[in-house]
Parts: sequence; structure tokens; C-alpha cells
Amino acid sequence: MNRIPAPHPIREIAALREKSRPLGVVSAAVGGLALAVVLGGITFVFAKYGIRREDRIAAALQSRELFTILVSGGLLGAGAAALGFGTYRRMPTRVSREEAIAGAVLGLQAAICGLALLWFIQGDMERFARNFLSFEQIVPQYGAFLNGARNTLVLAGAGEFFGVILGLVLSVFTISKRAAVRAPVRVYINLFRGTPLLLQLSLIYFGLALGLGVNMSAYTAAILAFSLNTGAYSAEVFRAGIQSIERSQMEAARGLGLGYMQSMRYVIVPQAVRRVIPPLMNEFVILIKDTSLIAFLGLSYAQRDLFTVGSQGYSQFFNATFYVASGLGYLVVTLPLIRLVTWVEKRLRSDLVGAGV
Amino acid sequence: MSRAANALVWPAGPVPAGVPLIRLTAIHKWFGNLHVLKGIDLDLSPGHVLVVIGTSGSGKSTLLRCIDMLEEPTSGHVWFKGRDITDVRVNLNDVRTHMGIVFQAFNLFPHKTALGNITLALEKVLHMPRDQARERAMAELEHVGLGQKAHSHPGQLSGGQQQRVAIARALAMRPDLILFDEVTSALDPKLVAEVLAVMQRLASEGTTMVVVTHEMGFAREVGTHLVFMDEGVIVEQGEPKAVFDNPQDERTRRFLSSVL
Ligand SMILES: Nc1ncnc2c1ncn2[C@@H]1O[C@H](COP(=O)(O)OP(=O)(O)OP(=O)(O)O)[C@@H](O)[C@H]1O
Ligand SMILES: [Mg+2]
Repeated sequence: MNRIPAPHPIREIAALREKSRPLGVVSAAVGGLALAVVLGGITFVFAKYGIRREDRIAAALQSRELFTILVSGGLLGAGAAALGFGTYRRMPTRVSREEAIAGAVLGLQAAICGLALLWFIQGDMERFARNFLSFEQIVPQYGAFLNGARNTLVLAGAGEFFGVILGLVLSVFTISKRAAVRAPVRVYINLFRGTPLLLQLSLIYFGLALGLGVNMSAYTAAILAFSLNTGAYSAEVFRAGIQSIERSQMEAARGLGLGYMQSMRYVIVPQAVRRVIPPLMNEFVILIKDTSLIAFLGLSYAQRDLFTVGSQGYSQFFNATFYVASGLGYLVVTLPLIRLVTWVEKRLRSDLVGAGV
Repeated sequence: MSRAANALVWPAGPVPAGVPLIRLTAIHKWFGNLHVLKGIDLDLSPGHVLVVIGTSGSGKSTLLRCIDMLEEPTSGHVWFKGRDITDVRVNLNDVRTHMGIVFQAFNLFPHKTALGNITLALEKVLHMPRDQARERAMAELEHVGLGQKAHSHPGQLSGGQQQRVAIARALAMRPDLILFDEVTSALDPKLVAEVLAVMQRLASEGTTMVVVTHEMGFAREVGTHLVFMDEGVIVEQGEPKAVFDNPQDERTRRFLSSVL
């Protein structure tokens, strides 16, 4: 296309653009509708057939209604995507441009969801529902899952609590100007950061508790391992936080006659802690999931964590719904925490702006 | 020894007769290969206002920070009330309790209120009971005209107000000496006056001060002694008006003509 187009009078282009403006709203509406059809349709079908029994779920998945819904939603979505992507460049205003893009993206999501599900329900739905969505078998195990969730939280909570305290102490050593003080702590941190948590867990339990006869239950050994591991990671988080506080803060404190440790305690650490709360909370979310490694130690019935409850349920009943339920259990715990991290981050950011930092 | 008796022992207590409050002898400071201070000798007696002026990078801040040992001289000695505080056996925290320092960038503690900024060292260094510390902190804030801002955080204060809180924070310790490092340089011209007014009053009350500044009017009117530094040495010193009106050294003349 090397041909130079004949120059259009600007007014004509503007008129052309003005004409395509309503298309933005149209594609947004169609895209939104498509996604609503797909998601709402799935909900509607399951509501109609019920999800308590696996055969009903299978029936829902194989129903004509779902097929129709997915096809029509997918097609609508594809249409919205084509319209939106085709027109967003020549939209006259920022708003109509955003509308076209939103419609295209929503439509694309509807089309992909619809098509993927269409492909999926061609498979053996009876077998799928029996193996993954057999919630009847889970309901009687409700208590075990609840207990598992509690154990997971206790393990992660205790590990995080002791780990953070350890990490704070270690971090103060890592910023020492004396190499002899820094070195051993660095060795510790690097050992724990450089080896798998599973290995640490095994060494501490099988090595210490069973091998050397140190009197320790698998549960205690696990809390110890999680604490030591979290200590190493949070030490690095605290170190970064402390080093992010301007050097002048330390000088102002020392200039008033406060000692080094006093300055740390009353001036540097309180400011650093605010900055490291979000990353520490993220560590906590990671630890919640990592507590599942305790499954390798062999736990008594009451000590089982969420993952162990799920996996033992699977071995007992040969049904993967136990894994699904265990996964849902983790989400129930972690999703609110993830939300909380986002909220805290926002709060702290606005606080710090207020504090002129 | 009881604390009351301790209060009379160095570094507390009066300046011994015939001895300056601060004496610097042959101070050299190297930052790696950079020779920043090249042999500084200086005496400061109680009640004096020593003003330090000089070109940017001439080592004024470094010199000031050597006085309270935030920066350790590479060689040379700093004497406080007759004792050498570069001696490693000296407890610098005790010495710094008797010196205040105010920085160009205020360096208030952002997580504490104006009041909390002042009471921290009163409680943790002077071991004052909380009520007494708050009382003194309030008095110091009133003194710099900020009584109504006691419960504001630094982020809620203007630059001039923050700097006055920083001055109050230093004053509250009742130091023998306060060091000011270009405390008005980060302020809008409108806010400079309010801070200078506070410093001028301190000088008239007989506070001993070392003031690094670019405010030549202040240097001339308030200073009792003036030092002009260039490239790590004291080029010229004397009574401020005399130096301003009749500079002896060519470098001083050039500097003064560039800033006046
Ligand atoms: N911590 C440090 N490490 C390395 N070099 C430094 C350090 N502090 C200061 N310097 C250098 O020492 C020299 C003198 O610095 P100083 O801050 O004392 O100057 P100044 O007279 O206060 O200048 P200004 O008027 O700009 O504040 C400068 O060249 C500076 O770069
Ligand atoms: Mg300076």
C-alpha cells in the first residue's frame, strides 16, 4: 500500500468517525450480553438440574439447554469481538473507544468460555461428574475438612508467627557493619532459601525426631521447619524494608543521643514494618499452601491438614472430588487473605502519602 | 553513683574554666580517595554563634557532622568540654545527648506526631516520666509557635513548620550546643523567615550554635564569629561584619561577591 491516499477534508473524516460512535455502545452491549448468556446460562442450567447428585450434574452438562446456550453465547461473543476490534480505532471519543474495546474483550471471553465448554462436554460427562463432582460423598466428611482447614491454619499461623519474629531478629544481624556478625546469619538464610522446604521438613522430622530420638511429634517438627524456613525468608523481607528507610532517619535518631539498638527499635523498625506488611502477608499465603508438604510426614487422624484430608479421602474412595473439595477449602482461606493484602497495601500507601514519605 | 550525682559529671555539667566548649584540632576527613577536610582547627566558647559559609562541596556539612561524630574524622581530635570524644572509650550517645543537630531535610520521624518526635528522646534517653516529657515537649512546641500542631504528623505540616518542630526536638534535650546544617535551604522563601526568626531568638537567649548557612544576612547580623571554608580548609575567619566588609583573601572576596 504505497499509494498515497487522496487527502480527505478533515470534516469528512470527522463525520465518518461520528457515525461509528454508536457502534461502541453496541459492541459493549453485545459483548456483555454474550458473557452474561454464557455465565448466566451455566448457572441457570445447574440450578435447574441441581448439583447435589452426580447424575444430575452429568445430565445438566449433556443437556440441550446448555448446548444451545453455549453456542448462542459463543457466537454472540465472537460477533462482539469482531465488531469491537474492527471499530475501536476509528472511534471519535475516548469513551466510545473504551466501549468498543470492552465489548471486544468481553465478547472474546464469552466466545472462549463457550467454545472450551462445548469441546469439553463432548467427553464422557458421566465419568467426569462421578469422579470430580461427587459432592454427596464429601458432605459426610464435612467435619474432617473443617478440622483439616483448622490444622492448616494453625500450622501456617504458628510457622508465620515464630518465623516473623525470628526473621526480624536475623534481619538486624544481616545489616551489621561487622562481617563476623553477618556471615553466620547469611549462611543460615542461604541454606534455608537454597534447599527445598520438603527436604528441611524431612531432615527435621526424620533426622531429628526419629533419627536422633529427639522427642517431637510430626506436627511440632512441621511447625519448627515452617518457622525456620519463614524466618529465613522474612529476614530478607525485613532487611529490604529496613534498608528502604532513609539513612537520615538513623542519623536524626543518633543525633538525639539514642543508641543504635534504640534507634532501630523506636525509629527504623516501626517504619520498616509498615512497608513489609504486604510482602509478609504474601509469604503467609504461600506458607498456607506449603503446609500441605506435611502430608509426607504421616499424621495422626486429628492432625491432618486440608491437603491430607483430601488425599486420604481420595485413596479411600478413589474419587477426585476430595481433591476438588480440598482445593476449594484452600481458596476459602486464601482468597479473603489475598483481598486483605490488596486492601492493606492501598491503606498503607495512602497513609505514607499522608506522612509525606 | 546516683543519677543526680551523675548529672554533674562529664559530659554533663559546666564547661571547665579556661576550656572551650568545642575544640577541633587538625581534623582531616577522607571519603575513600576524596580529601574533604584538610586540617581544621577551631574553638567555640559557650554563648557564641559560629557561622560557617563556603562554596558547595567545600566540606561544611562534613565538618558539622564531625563535631557530633556522626562522621568520624580520619585523623585529628574533637574536644567537648575538655575531653577528646574521638577516643573510642567515650560513649558518644552520652555526648550527643548534650548536642543537638538540625538537618536541611528536617529528618522528622514520619510515624510519630510532632509531640511524639520530641518526647521520644526525652523518654528513652533522658528517662523522663511520660507526663513530664509531654509537658516539656509542649512547652518547646509553644516556644517555636506550634503548640496547636502537637498532634499533627510531619506529613501534615508545611516545610517551615516541620523545621521548627525539628528545632524544638533538638532544644527539648537542653543541649549545650546546637548544630544547624543549612536548615532553611529546603524551604520556600516565604517559610525561611519563620525559621530564621526562631534561630535569631535562640541566639539572643544565649544558645551556643554552629550554623552552616547560605543566608548571608543572618550570618552577618546574628553570628558572633564567621568561618569561610573552601576546598576543605578554613580560608578566613573573624568577626562577621569585619569579614563581610573587608575580606582579606581573594577566594573570600570572590565568594562574597557571588552571593551578595
Ligand atoms: N558519605 C560520603 N561519602 C563520600 N563522599 C562524601 C560523603 N559525604 C560528603 N561527601 C563529599 O564530600 C564533599 C564535601 O561534602 P559536604 O556535604 O561536606 O559539602 P558542603 O560544603 O556541605 O556542600 P553543600 O553546600 O552543597 O551542602 C563533597 O564532594 C561530597 O561529595
Ligand atoms: Mg552541606
